[in-house]
Amino acid sequence: MTNLIELEDVTIGYENKGMLGPLNLAIEKGQFWGVLGPNGSGKSTLLKTVLGLLPAVSGSVKTSDSIVFGYVPQSEKFDPIFPVSVREIVSMGRYVRVRAGKNLSASDMEHITGSLEKTGTLHLKDRTFRSLSGGEKQRALLARAISGEPDVLVLDEPTASIDIKGEAQIMELVGNIRSDDGLTVLMVSHFLNTVTRYADRIILIDKDTGYFKAGGKPEVLTDHNLSTFFGLGAGSGII
Amino acid sequence: MGILSEFISSYFLWRDPMIVGAVSGAVCGFLGVYVVLRRIIFVSAALTQISSFGVALSFYLEGLGMGVLSSFIHPFILSTVLTSLAAVFFAMKRDFSRISQEGVIGFGFLIASGAVIILGDRITKGAHDIANILFGNAVVVDPGDVYIIPAVALAALVIHIVFYKDFVFVSFDEQTARLFKYPVRTLNTVILITIAVVVAVATRALGALPVFSFLALPPLTSLFLTERLKLVFAISVIIGALSATLGYFFSFVLSIPTGASMAVCASVFFVLGLLWREVKVRT
Repeated sequence: MTNLIELEDVTIGYENKGMLGPLNLAIEKGQFWGVLGPNGSGKSTLLKTVLGLLPAVSGSVKTSDSIVFGYVPQSEKFDPIFPVSVREIVSMGRYVRVRAGKNLSASDMEHITGSLEKTGTLHLKDRTFRSLSGGEKQRALLARAISGEPDVLVLDEPTASIDIKGEAQIMELVGNIRSDDGLTVLMVSHFLNTVTRYADRIILIDKDTGYFKAGGKPEVLTDHNLSTFFGLGAGSGII
Repeated sequence: MGILSEFISSYFLWRDPMIVGAVSGAVCGFLGVYVVLRRIIFVSAALTQISSFGVALSFYLEGLGMGVLSSFIHPFILSTVLTSLAAVFFAMKRDFSRISQEGVIGFGFLIASGAVIILGDRITKGAHDIANILFGNAVVVDPGDVYIIPAVALAALVIHIVFYKDFVFVSFDEQTARLFKYPVRTLNTVILITIAVVVAVATRALGALPVFSFLALPPLTSLFLTERLKLVFAISVIIGALSATLGYFFSFVLSIPTGASMAVCASVFFVLGLLWREVKVRT
């Protein structure tokens, strides 16, 4: 198997102030990793470090130069003052393959339309992003992420603002896209059920206690960890 | 003779200032969309004041008899340089010893405003000139402005058309733009520098008040009127140009200060846009 992303003795944090480390992690092609932890545990900091948006305080994050990330941020992060349409926002995902100063080609537009179709958002293309429901926003952001033909799909709390039905639809869509396109997935969530149902590898993180564990579900989600981090008793049947 | 026919027959008086005002209103309306969408209206207020400071400083230095340096202390050059430097500073720095960027911009606005008034007190030409800079009185404009302002506006628009996709991208989602290795800092700086240069030339010709109002009110109005981003830009350009043109017309026929008249016209469009939006939401 090929490692797409490797963290070697990485300490994560802000402004050269270490928050948690040293961390070691190898993400192989095709794996589905779920990142779990309490609120404020350092999940998003880890994600930003992996994406290269935040420099590691120490250690090294190794990714292939040609690796393309498809990023699904939390929909609340977008300022609703912007009257951007779904097509415009999905087009932005394609910009990973279009340099600054260049315009989208006909081929790019085909990929954008294909992403809209694949996520069932083609009928929403002329709606403004801010007018969509939580589930529709997540599907549009998923379309944006895959329009750049990524190697790794990175999702930051993709089901945080949607109901259970919408959550199931989004996660089913992520699963289908992953299997169709052979994507590697890295998903941050504080919903234990969602992560354990869909991910095949788990990262459990808590900066307050200095805890970091990455591996298979039985290895990470031990009775002790379920009790410590999620208040679940032994035999909760979560896995 | 009716007011309108009197106005038309005096076209040789208002042609140049009307051109300068309309072009300034249009280009400020365009650039102001970024100002409003990026929630940096205070930046435009600070830039207009810093531009005013540049013009006032130029008058002051001229009064000191620095004839040898006259080409460097020309109001256009000094104002453009100072405003552009401020724009670069605002674009480059994000935090200042735990003081928010907004706080630093406020500091820039206040110190520039204070300095303009102090310089105005020292300028031999008198406070009247400073009042014109601050509040605008484009009854007549420098003949060169008829060429300089459209040229600067055209250059700014070309840059914004070429990099439209990139400017919207970094304004809407800077984080993903950085993930995609876009030159985010450069793009942000270019946006602010184009605003700064336009502000500098327009403030010298029209005054700080109308320029600030053109940067803020037409974009806000157009956001009431449409849900399409490209239309927001187009409508804002039209409202900016109309505010300047009508403002000048009312100033001419009612003998009221030009800059204030332009700002009030932009405000009237804003109120009409707000009412239209309220009616649309309720029906």
